[in-house]
Amino acid sequence: MIYEVFARKSRGEPLRHIGSLNAPDAALARVYAFNTYDEERWFDMWVAPREGMVEVFNVDHPVQEAL
Amino acid sequence: MSANAVQQAERPDQLEEGVRAGVRDLILALADSKRLLGMRYADWTLGAPELEAGIACASMAQDEWGHARQLYALLRDFGEDLERVEHGREPGEYASIEILDEPPAEWADLVVLNAIVDTALSVQVESLMDSSYQPLRQRCEKLLDEERFHIAHGAAWFRRMAATEGGRRALLESAARALSVVMRWYGPQERCAALVDAGVVGAGPDELRCTLAGRLGPLIELVDVKVSEAPDFDDFDAGRRRSGGSAPSPRTVEQVRGDRNRAFLMD
Repeated sequence: MIYEVFARKSRGEPLRHIGSLNAPDAALARVYAFNTYDEERWFDMWVAPREGMVEVFNVDHPVQEAL
Repeated sequence: MSANAVQQAERPDQLEEGVRAGVRDLILALADSKRLLGMRYADWTLGAPELEAGIACASMAQDEWGHARQLYALLRDFGEDLERVEHGREPGEYASIEILDEPPAEWADLVVLNAIVDTALSVQVESLMDSSYQPLRQRCEKLLDEERFHIAHGAAWFRRMAATEGGRRALLESAARALSVVMRWYGPQERCAALVDAGVVGAGPDELRCTLAGRLGPLIELVDVKVSEAPDFDDFDAGRRRSGGSAPSPRTVEQVRGDRNRAFLMD
């Protein structure tokens, strides 16, 4: 499963997307995110499964989906 | 002995003679084990089942080598020549955990080192959090902070593999051996009494065995391994915390000492 990784440098700053990784579950996704993206001093870091993300623009038939 | 009666020490000469040797042995046992564990992680930087696991191994290898470096540096105060400690010792002088003597043959063996052996080392480091020997105490927090993700990686992989029949079988034998080795590695209870009394360690070997068994319990029950908290100390070299006469393989020591390429050092 692909996880997207988000982080920010200080409290109040918006989260920004810093990369992605492959992991079978959230437990390993946390570890992999830490190992792969901890080169900077982050305030916090989050992972979310890509399949949990919903696209807003550029969808084929937004009207039909809405119905 | 009450806590405030414990004498704090900043240098080895402030420790009683019997305690001093014990502290030196403890530092060496931790440093050597972390040195070799780091090498075992590094071996799997390539060849891990997924790229991310390889990156995790590289990261853990760096951490362990950093910890070993910091721990070896503490031996200078004990009059040790660090060049000799890191590059001049024979295999028989190493005090590393026995199961690190040979490289792990399979990924399952590496997962066992990660989940069981790395955790056993951290349990020993935790016993130094309030150590009366300050140079040790001052290093514990940072070491343990870096270890959090080692344990998370080992546990997550252990669970992942234990969820399949093949994975469980692959873990079983390796986990049983690792558990018996690390339980013995903490040493005989009576041998550690002086260090406990001097406040160098906050827990003796029996308590460490109990802590480790409790911590690993949720993982161990997944593979149905029996944990004995009463090791057999026949043929145990208490100074090096391993079986008498045992040693890391010559190839292992050649690698950790960096023998082959030492000739290129120009200074």
